[in-house]
Amino acid sequence: MAEQFNRALTLAGTRIVDSVASFLPGALVFLGILLGAFVVALVIRSALRRGLKGLDFDRRVEGLGFSPAEWTPSGSASVLVASVAYWTVLVLGLLLGLTALDAALPTQFAVSVLQYLPHLVAALAILVIGGIVARFLARAMLIGAVNMGVQSARLLSVGVKWLVLIVAAAMALDHIGIGRTVLLLAFGITFGGVVFAVALAVGLGARDVVGRAFERQLREPAGDDKLDHV
Amino acid sequence: MASTGLNSSVGPEPASADGPVVAGLLCYQDADTVGAVVAAVREGLAVHFADVTTQIVLVDAGSTDATEARAREALGDAGEILDIAAARSTADFLDLPYHGIPGKARAVRAILTAASERRAQACVILDAGVRTVTPDWVGWLARPVVERAFDFVSPFYQRHAFEGALTKGVVYPVVRALYGVRLRQPAAAEFACSGRLVDHVLQEDVWERSGSQLGIDIWLTTAAASGDFRLSEAALGIRAHGVRGEEALDLGTTIVQVVGSLFTDLERRAARWQRSRGLIPVEPPGAPSAAAPVAPNVDVERLIEACRLGYRELRDIWTWVLPPRTIVDLKKLLDRPVAEFRLDDELWARIVYDFAIGCRLRVAAREHLLRSLVPLYSGWLASYVLQVRDVSPEAADLRVETLAEAFDAQKSYLIARWRWPERLRTE
Repeated sequence: MAEQFNRALTLAGTRIVDSVASFLPGALVFLGILLGAFVVALVIRSALRRGLKGLDFDRRVEGLGFSPAEWTPSGSASVLVASVAYWTVLVLGLLLGLTALDAALPTQFAVSVLQYLPHLVAALAILVIGGIVARFLARAMLIGAVNMGVQSARLLSVGVKWLVLIVAAAMALDHIGIGRTVLLLAFGITFGGVVFAVALAVGLGARDVVGRAFERQLREPAGDDKLDHV
Repeated sequence: MASTGLNSSVGPEPASADGPVVAGLLCYQDADTVGAVVAAVREGLAVHFADVTTQIVLVDAGSTDATEARAREALGDAGEILDIAAARSTADFLDLPYHGIPGKARAVRAILTAASERRAQACVILDAGVRTVTPDWVGWLARPVVERAFDFVSPFYQRHAFEGALTKGVVYPVVRALYGVRLRQPAAAEFACSGRLVDHVLQEDVWERSGSQLGIDIWLTTAAASGDFRLSEAALGIRAHGVRGEEALDLGTTIVQVVGSLFTDLERRAARWQRSRGLIPVEPPGAPSAAAPVAPNVDVERLIEACRLGYRELRDIWTWVLPPRTIVDLKKLLDRPVAEFRLDDELWARIVYDFAIGCRLRVAAREHLLRSLVPLYSGWLASYVLQVRDVSPEAADLRVETLAEAFDAQKSYLIARWRWPERLRTE
């Protein structure tokens, strides 16, 4: 009895030691990868901050119409980009480290996330480009409408901005496959609804207003419109 | 009086004093006017330069009407036509230029090259779309070059005080303040130049620069003003242009093209104008034509309302280039009633200079920035019209001179901000 107990105890101990022995190198590699990722992330963050500062990135981004204060408490686009790069490297390091642990569930998770990563990056790029285009077009619309004397220029500008942002968001979500059908339907219904509503408003409610606006466009220009400014 | 700029360049084959006088005509869809212009130029060359060899160079910028045929018909077998087809590029179709001639820089370059090849002593360039060209225009422009050794003769048209406001309010004061030359219409299409200046400008890099097709008129003037050349003005009377069948550009596009070209040149010649000091007298023009220009109708209240709308909606964009003090001054101005609406000259000068710096620093898309200047220009125009609408033409000219002096006075402001742009937003 005592012998059997000892054998069982030894077997259990051996199993534990074997498990620890097989887990420990993986854990050490995990820690090593994590530490390496941390160091690389720090280096990249620092390099990006310095490089972008040297390129006067903050001012250029503001010139494109971004106000970083809306996105980050630091109010600096270069700090934001550096932070995003820092956390991206850290997360990548974490996922790589998980595969080193050789644990089925974390490994599967890491592999699936890594496979999904290009889609995420592409979606993020769509969002960023959409944001830049939205702000650029919104500003162009605002300035153009003000120069045409449109009193509700701001409203038009905001409308254009959100239209482009919504299209970009829909494209990004579609790209990563989240709610594809629902999104398509919702977007189609919303967009079609807006166009239909505008058409109804123009055709019924604002017919006279639109008529007068067209009339203004087609009539002879005002005296100062005919001025030769050059 | 000679300008005392530093740049001087002599081509490989300097123009000879007995070289021909070349008259260059720029044509584009000018079938209605080109015949009369060619006839006037022929007569002008015959009358004013009877003892000198003369040549006419006709450059067509791709007319699809009967322009070329009518020009040949008008010239007959007298004189000589050098017909150069200036091909239009894709960009020419996208950017309808304010001066109405697509690919104008290529056309002007072709004329100047022809003049240089002939070792011309003088080259006069005219727009074949102008209805009021007379034989005397050739003499008034080219004789100072041939007889009095001037290098550049800029036209001075008789215009109503309200006409050419962008030139009077921005282009002339800036060119005068920066280069110290009193050429009142620096963006004019017509001019005459000496063989020496022809060789100089052909060696400049203005031809290949982005935007050259739009800004060539201004850039040639500043090339002459910033070099060691003798400058003069010639009064040509009234300039009336025929219809080229294209719609007039909106004010925003005109400002983008004209002011944008000026600001581009400012960046290119920064080292030159920062050294320039004082005002170099330019030979004044002779007596202008007696005919009084027709007064255009200007709706001052609409202009002020446009400025107020701009302040309300575009203030955020303006704050990228204008210091807080200027924004406050604008607010005070816009709170005033129409009768008291006066935009201070020095404030306007600083606004223009700040926009030039904003363009240089690329604080926003260049076109957006320039288009956002439209409401401010409307405000200045309203203020200017209120001040000159009840005064004589001479008093209106004096008003423009006073404005130009304000630009002169604020040049130090421009230089300071140009050199230390980090102060842009802090003052």
